[in-house]
Amino acid sequence: MLETSMFSEIGLNHYLVLSALLFTIGMAGILLRRNLIVVLMSIELMLNAVNISFVAFSKYNMNSEGQVMVFFVMTIAAAEAAVGLAIIVSIFKRFKEVNIRFFEHLKG
Amino acid sequence: MDHQILIAVLLLSPLLGFLINGFRFRSQSYVIAGTVATLAVTVSFVCSILLFIELLALPAESRRITAHFFEWINLGDLNINAAFVVDQISSIMLLIITGVGALIHLFSIGYMHHDKGVTKYFSYLNFFVFNMLILVLGDSLVTMFVGWEGVGLCSYLLIGFWFSDSAKAAAGMKAFITNRVGDAAFLLGMFILFMTFGTLNFYELNALAPTTMEASWLGAVTLATLMLFIGATGKSAQIPLYVWLPDAMAGPTPVSALIHAATMVTAGVYMIIRLNPMFVAAPNTMMVIAIVGAATAVMAATIGVVQNDIKKVLAYSTVSQLGYMFLAVGVGAFGAGMMHLMTHAFFKALMFLGSGSVIHAMHEEQDIRKMGGLRKYLPVTHFTFILGWLAIIGFPFFSGFFSKDEILWQSFSSPRGHTLLWVAGALGAVLTAFYMTRLMALTFWGKSRVDKNIHPHESPWTMTVPLIILGILSVISGFIGVPHAIAEFMGHIPNYWQQWLAPVIRPLPIEELQSVTHTLSEEYMLMGISVFLAMCSAIFAYVVYTKKKHIAENTAQSLKPIYNLLDNKYYVDEIYFGAIINPLVKQSRNLWYYIDVNVIDRMTHVASDVATNGGKLVKTLQNGNMQQYAMYVSLGLIIVLSYVLMR
Amino acid sequence: MSMDAVLFWFLSIVVIGAGLSVVLMSNPIYSALSLVMTMVGVAALFATLNAYFLAGVQLIVYTGAVMVLFVMVLMLFDLKRELQAFSRGKITGFFKIAGVGVLAGLLVGVITFTTQKTSLIAEGSPLAADIAAQAASGADNTKILSENLFLKNILGFELLGVLLLVIAIGVVALSRSKGGTHARD
Repeated sequence: MLETSMFSEIGLNHYLVLSALLFTIGMAGILLRRNLIVVLMSIELMLNAVNISFVAFSKYNMNSEGQVMVFFVMTIAAAEAAVGLAIIVSIFKRFKEVNIRFFEHLKG
Repeated sequence: MDHQILIAVLLLSPLLGFLINGFRFRSQSYVIAGTVATLAVTVSFVCSILLFIELLALPAESRRITAHFFEWINLGDLNINAAFVVDQISSIMLLIITGVGALIHLFSIGYMHHDKGVTKYFSYLNFFVFNMLILVLGDSLVTMFVGWEGVGLCSYLLIGFWFSDSAKAAAGMKAFITNRVGDAAFLLGMFILFMTFGTLNFYELNALAPTTMEASWLGAVTLATLMLFIGATGKSAQIPLYVWLPDAMAGPTPVSALIHAATMVTAGVYMIIRLNPMFVAAPNTMMVIAIVGAATAVMAATIGVVQNDIKKVLAYSTVSQLGYMFLAVGVGAFGAGMMHLMTHAFFKALMFLGSGSVIHAMHEEQDIRKMGGLRKYLPVTHFTFILGWLAIIGFPFFSGFFSKDEILWQSFSSPRGHTLLWVAGALGAVLTAFYMTRLMALTFWGKSRVDKNIHPHESPWTMTVPLIILGILSVISGFIGVPHAIAEFMGHIPNYWQQWLAPVIRPLPIEELQSVTHTLSEEYMLMGISVFLAMCSAIFAYVVYTKKKHIAENTAQSLKPIYNLLDNKYYVDEIYFGAIINPLVKQSRNLWYYIDVNVIDRMTHVASDVATNGGKLVKTLQNGNMQQYAMYVSLGLIIVLSYVLMR
Repeated sequence: MSMDAVLFWFLSIVVIGAGLSVVLMSNPIYSALSLVMTMVGVAALFATLNAYFLAGVQLIVYTGAVMVLFVMVLMLFDLKRELQAFSRGKITGFFKIAGVGVLAGLLVGVITFTTQKTSLIAEGSPLAADIAAQAASGADNTKILSENLFLKNILGFELLGVLLLVIAIGVVALSRSKGGTHARD
């Protein structure tokens, strides 16, 4: 049942669907790309998707908790990016390439 | 001193010796090892004497010293204590074990000094003494069984002491396995006794022994005592389980003296005497024991006649003498059996040690055909050997005379005896005189047949001193139990032995005793016959084997089938192999191949294959590819979300 | 169609498009630039949701710091267009794409089916009026956020500071390491 209001009136669901789509795009990047840096970028994409839904909930719930959570997520995302890039740098130093298959060495 | 401490020292001293020597078993210093081991047993001997003196001080009816250390097993009705008891029977055994044991330890110092494993040897020997003490001191069948198994283990270890020779290792295994057959029966007997009487303590069992004689073959007491007797045939080398003892001569000679002559092999006799009220209540068992004992005595003696290995002769002689002991207990003469046990321990240990001395002098030569004329090289050994010889052939007033004659008389006169049993015993005595004289003649007398390269020499003092002490004991020990008939003749010497054992021996029922009457003149006559025949036999053997050797050879030629039969020990080993062992091995092989390999192994293989292949299958999931891991996560997410949506 | 709606549709198209190009571009530099685009779009979306402070932080932290880091690393490695940008394996590839598609469908389905009937705050309620009042002044929203952050969640906030310190040290340690346990040279 498509209604015209779906396009004109923006509600919580719109943001959540957008967030879900962005999340699955990020997930596809993680699953499919071989370049570690791009994989890391896809992770950032997913984090941002989640942030969108947090802020949307915060607004439509009349509650600032969601925004606080976004604040935390951002901090951790920044930290994670720093560590991830450091690992990528050491992998590059080691193999002269940043392919995800080098992580296969981590299996037992 | 407190009894408990005394008994603890008595028991723990050999154990300590075992531990000390056992922890430094690589050492090759025979002086230290031998001193430690001999001291350990000597301490036990001193304790035994002290305990014996304590016993003497007690009134005759309550001569019993118990030491309760701790509760060992407490399961429902079964209550076994680590408790040890010294009474009339076990104190005698204590004195024999520790006294003869100490002498044999001393002898071993000289005998084993060239051996590389001397420390190991002494630690085994001490461990044996420890187990033997547990066997005789235990206050219940279970405690006794611990020692029973322990001496079996030590026997195995010491027979196979030179295990690099596979024949000797096999002899050890034969002894162990044959004993195992007897032990199974021993256990069954214990179970029946426990089922019937609810206890395994000797004193409680003896108090509960039925007063009426059990006539049935299938009564509980008869079955239990029969089973215990089968256990005794294993340990004490009686028909049908005697086959291991001759092979056990593969061990060092002092071991043969200690374990396979003086102490361990008498454990079966000791056990029966311990439980004598129980055995008295089962006349059928007594009959079986007497018949088996007499048969063993004769059969082993006949084999002994043709043996050429000095130790084999003594081994068959031991089997034969053990037969006498069983004959004695089988006719209810427990005191006489115990007496023979003691005198036999002295003279047989003496002769084994003497043979050890001979073997030592002859540089490990054991074949008596290659000896002869050793009298002038080994004067001490020869003299002491003569004492043992006179004792075993029952020369009047030597120890063996008193004990053997008492057994023969009892086998005739006891209400449970029989003339045939006496005939068998007398025949055994004649044969014993023959083969022992043959042994003496071939070894010490006559012309020397010694190899030119061997220069026999007398042994060091550590070996001759035990010989002399045992020689003296072999001569005089009979006088503590002079039979009634001879005592009359010698001026009323009291029979200390009977008096000592009387409180713990249950006499045969009075109505049975009254049913037979015998006179002193009968006893003198039978004694005269047996002694006369034995002496004739000894003189005949002396003449044949020193002067007229062709008689022996001619007889062997003319009686070829009988000679071969004896030389091959009645083919008993072959029969056992053909009838029992080989079919068993064959069936086991079939079971192994058809059941074990094809069924059980296959089942386990299938199980392991399932696990392996399952693992391989799952392994592909975990291939280290992180993107696949992420895929699993997303698939899991899908499943969860689908569930949420479907709900 | 209100201004809000126009803005939302525009921004969502930008964000989705840029996100797709992050994943699909075979040259990592283009991916990084697309990611910058996505970040900016998300910051703008935050603004439409009245989270002005967060929108600023998003711009500063992501586009200002994180993305600069990414681009710097990319420049350091001097990566060209990749021949094999996507992982191999037809079957797993199918599963991955199908999984992503199904997941997207499921997520949208779950969102629409579960929140359709339960409107969070009834229209015309006093609370709704408050929201409208708040929406008028962005400053108040930031004030509420800061109060929450510094009064209610002060412990978490400070722990985050500790975490950042640890991360800083850890990154230095990592970049100085010679290759860890698998080092061969």
